[in-house]
Amino acid sequence: MSILIANELMVSAKLGGDLVPVLRDFSLTLEPGRVVGLVGESGAGKSMVGRTIAQMLPPGFAVTGGRLLFGGRDLVRMPPDKRRALLGREIAFIPQEPLSALNPVLTIGQQLDEHLRRLGLATPRERRARALDLLETVHLPRGASLLRQYPHQISGGMCQRVLIAIAFASRPRLVIADEPTTALDVTIQARIVRLIAEMQERDGTAVLFITHDLRLAGQICDQILVLYAGRPAEYGPARAVLTAPAHPYSRCLQLANPPMSGARRALASLPERMPGLAAYKDITGCAFAPRCPNAVPDCTRGAPPFVDVAPGHTAACIRTAATQAIAAPALAAAAETAAGAPVLEVSALCKNFLVGGMFSRSTFAAVRDVSFVLGANEFLGVVGESGSGKTTLARLLVGLEQPSGGTIKLTGQKVVHNLVAGQSAHDAQLIFQDPQSALNPRRRVGGIVTQSLEATGIASREERLARARSLLAEIGLPPETVTRFPSQLSGGQRQRVNIARALCATPKILIADEIVSGLDVSVQAQLLNLLIGLRKQRAFSMVFISHDLSVVRYLCDRVLVMFRGEVVEAGPTERLFAAPAHPYTRALLSAVPPDDPAGAWTPARFEPDGARL
Amino acid sequence: MWLPAWMRSARVLIGLAIVLLIGLAAVFAPLLAPHDPNEQNLIATLLPPAWLPGGEAEFPFGTDSLGRCVLSRLIYGARVAMAVAVVASFGAMLLGGVLAHVAGYFGGRVDWLIGRVVDVWMSFPPVILSLVLMVGLGTGLRNVILAIVLVDWTRFCRVLRSEVLVVRRRDYVTAARLVGFSHWRTITREVLPATVPLLITLVSLEMGIAVIVEAILSFVGMSVSADTPAWGQMIADARQYVYQSSWNLIFPILAIFITVFGFNLLGDGLRRTLDVRLTAVRT
Amino acid sequence: MNAILLLLVRRALISVVILFFVAALLFCVLRLLPVDPAAMSLPPMATIAEVEAKRREMGLDLPLPQQFLIWLGQVLHGDFGISIHFRRSVASLVASTLPATVELAVIAMAIATVLGLGGGLLLFHVRGRPAEPAVDFGSIVLLSIPEFLWGLFFILLFGVALGVLPFTGRLSAEFQRPLVTGFLLLDTLLTGRPDMFWDALKHMILPAFALGIAFSPTIMRVLRSSLIDVYHEDYITQARLRGVSERRVLVRHGLKNAILPTLSLMGVQFGILFGGTLLVEVIYSYPGLGNLMVDAVRNADLPIIQAVGLTYCVVVLVINTVVDALYLVLNPKLRIA
Repeated sequence: MSILIANELMVSAKLGGDLVPVLRDFSLTLEPGRVVGLVGESGAGKSMVGRTIAQMLPPGFAVTGGRLLFGGRDLVRMPPDKRRALLGREIAFIPQEPLSALNPVLTIGQQLDEHLRRLGLATPRERRARALDLLETVHLPRGASLLRQYPHQISGGMCQRVLIAIAFASRPRLVIADEPTTALDVTIQARIVRLIAEMQERDGTAVLFITHDLRLAGQICDQILVLYAGRPAEYGPARAVLTAPAHPYSRCLQLANPPMSGARRALASLPERMPGLAAYKDITGCAFAPRCPNAVPDCTRGAPPFVDVAPGHTAACIRTAATQAIAAPALAAAAETAAGAPVLEVSALCKNFLVGGMFSRSTFAAVRDVSFVLGANEFLGVVGESGSGKTTLARLLVGLEQPSGGTIKLTGQKVVHNLVAGQSAHDAQLIFQDPQSALNPRRRVGGIVTQSLEATGIASREERLARARSLLAEIGLPPETVTRFPSQLSGGQRQRVNIARALCATPKILIADEIVSGLDVSVQAQLLNLLIGLRKQRAFSMVFISHDLSVVRYLCDRVLVMFRGEVVEAGPTERLFAAPAHPYTRALLSAVPPDDPAGAWTPARFEPDGARL
Repeated sequence: MWLPAWMRSARVLIGLAIVLLIGLAAVFAPLLAPHDPNEQNLIATLLPPAWLPGGEAEFPFGTDSLGRCVLSRLIYGARVAMAVAVVASFGAMLLGGVLAHVAGYFGGRVDWLIGRVVDVWMSFPPVILSLVLMVGLGTGLRNVILAIVLVDWTRFCRVLRSEVLVVRRRDYVTAARLVGFSHWRTITREVLPATVPLLITLVSLEMGIAVIVEAILSFVGMSVSADTPAWGQMIADARQYVYQSSWNLIFPILAIFITVFGFNLLGDGLRRTLDVRLTAVRT
Repeated sequence: MNAILLLLVRRALISVVILFFVAALLFCVLRLLPVDPAAMSLPPMATIAEVEAKRREMGLDLPLPQQFLIWLGQVLHGDFGISIHFRRSVASLVASTLPATVELAVIAMAIATVLGLGGGLLLFHVRGRPAEPAVDFGSIVLLSIPEFLWGLFFILLFGVALGVLPFTGRLSAEFQRPLVTGFLLLDTLLTGRPDMFWDALKHMILPAFALGIAFSPTIMRVLRSSLIDVYHEDYITQARLRGVSERRVLVRHGLKNAILPTLSLMGVQFGILFGGTLLVEVIYSYPGLGNLMVDAVRNADLPIIQAVGLTYCVVVLVINTVVDALYLVLNPKLRIA
């Protein structure tokens, strides 16, 4: 019997007096021992499914149609106490943010104990033995001392293992993993996904794996359901959906993902973005039609029916035959790195921080002996995981931190960075990571974008306004955006404003610190193509910091790989990706799931001096 | 007609109404009070309010132990209360606010120093410190205001500093500095607009506290001089005759309560409507 | 355990430094007073020469920092000087009144805690329900009534109108106060006098409740807002997803986390409450530190003002240290493993 059956499930929300369906026509069958991936961008409605199963919908949301059955029992009509009995026992959840998912004032042992008591283990001794057992199954050594520790004392990866142990403790029939690896480093991600697969195979658990990462889904899922604006776009076997997608959206999503291997190709960037919740009621016909390259007038006439393209493979499109024809745009000629003196020279750069309280000070070397050169019109990628020092490097380059040693030379002049305005302040500009906190919510876009003009005070109001308009046009936003406030823009639009602000000072170097992480794939593709376009027009250099290797491969000419403050490898992008020399680089590259779902995924291990990763 | 959120809040409106009423009473005291508040009438002492047997219409709220009209004293007492409330809270806000922004924005040694000064200051229970300050400074309205400013600035400083720290960490403040704005500009254009809502809320709450502190000081006899009517003083006088005329005690108590309640309601309403995170903007 | 000891040592050292500055502050402020302590300690008929001699004897002609150091030296020896008004050693005056105030403050704080936590839970419980605005409004009303108004109100209600409870002093006139620890409730029990115990208790009810009720609304509101903040955290949702019951979520996950900021606030409140005892003592003619202070203020009795001011600060610093230690015990994030 199927573990989970969703049949045309519909969840609606009360928005401003109207009942808006946030999830509709949702049908899915999950057999025991199978993994189904729920793939979609943010706002598509993926987390609604998990919440509906747990009946923890936000206030104002309710199931308004269809059925949801667990092992034959109706989940929607089930009384709350019966459902609570299921949670944690037969249905378990693996959360997205492991560190905040555990109670910070209770030890790991206490939280395991609470859960095991709920599962029926009567005596403390039994529970402790079982807890130690569980920790072993998730490959956490030194279980006894771990039980005494608090969540903030262990790493994110270890926390997630504990949460997986808790989830699988009762040998549940269904596990819902909601983006379980998004908050983790790439090398850890590979291991955690492996672990989930291992536990799933052992117990024959059915897993609903929610993710935005198509490549990851292709590797571990048996079936994939692609969600768009609350409605399934495509549903079928993982391999089929990824290698021969039937729905244009799936295809475009694939094409928007920068490839990790093979020939370089351009990214397909879709115009606009997925409609938000408020726009749902205005949708007539296919929600994807406004952005679809294959759209015809019939597409807007009514919601597209589910078409069988192959046994067990459906797509909600009336033109599935044309999907394969969608191709990536032509690859633009690569920008030439201008010859001449390098714009940025960094040699033996070091930064130490003092940590500890009054009695136990120690130095922590965030950046150690980093040297590199950046030419004119060159894009340099800096990759590394958390703790690699890449953010500290960014701050050093713009002058937010003072180096403890080494030199930074900007256009040949040795710079003693001092944040009070000076020439150096305008030659290197930083684009911040979080568009939410990078824009002052009380200022209009026009004012934000021309901040550097304000600071020098040369230009008049009209000049600033004109400049703002031209900058916005450059980054692809309509001129009326000048009078808007940041809260009225989407994440992608805010990031563009961020970029425009940095460009206003016509810098020679842009430092971009994780500017596309946290953005949806299609929005990310838009921004990356924008950067390439800008590069041609303006001829600037960029230091592009990211943890996402595929993005770096697409954008950058050369790459630096950082680990614990040091540069372990550097070189031209193609060479580094094709034949990495350093074991850490190899581990990093192999931790990313391959483009081809049929390809083998063998993450290499990298453990310098037995460090716990 | 479109109104900002804070104007539509019931609490704000009611609180504002109460406060304005008392403020107006204070301003127009000579016109409203039936008698001179210091005029003694030794024949008609401890008269009950006019609606009770033995009361006289001439003295609507009765008289105190020296035959002075209670209603007039209440109205004139509002002058002291409101003067102290408004001036002292703004003074405390200025002193505490400036130091909080300096400490939170610059961090490091400056923050540490200001923090230690606040620590020393806050080791005094506020009542004790204000009393000691009044002993040192001497009585009088100006000194009362000064004492309250010197005692309460620490509260402003501590609470605002946490908020300044949060705002400081936001990237747009760093961005402003990177673009070349001076410290002064960054603080006034980027940090301050974000902390103003909290400032306003604290000021209105502080006004209520200032009224209480003044009442305490005048109760103990360490506030304004004896010929200026103040509510706390009225309470101290009335306490001795509580058996004969409890009304003389009830009226100033009610006056203090209603005034403080008005400020608290206003402050709470402002807190709820002004404290919107990033969407403090018309959409 | 080590971390706590370390913290206590650090706090003790810092407190000493703070006390030094506090004493200096007190000293300077009081010297602003346009009153001549020498003239105050002599009979009104004293000649100018006698006043001058007295000034020199009291060291008032020396520069201010020197006077301060002399005073400090005396204090470290336990000599707080002689009261100008009472003509007794200040130390003995403080010692005889401090226990009374401490007793009152502790009982008041206990009342405030019980009411505050209970009220906070109630406020939290009614959130989102129709009763919420009313209960919330009630808490603002409570917040607007300071302790001295409660004190007066209780006198009017229970003392005058209903006449059921006494409102002057610590003990009825017919009893002789036993002197063991200075803490009356304890002493009466130790000396085996339950009738005195009840009498002392009756005298303490009104002032303690006046203080306790006045300080409870802040605790209520902080507990409520802490709980609301905590309930937004991920681990609460995760606990529910594991099937933990709402009651357990509240107690084990919610309260355990929300109690931390509440505890911090309670520590601060206790300090302010301790200062508030002054008013309540005046209103109830309760023979404690507050009454001593007020008398001293009225008589410009500097040695007492200095000593009592310092005593209040010492108590507040002790409270802060204890609360910090408690916070460290309860909050594992502060421990360095």
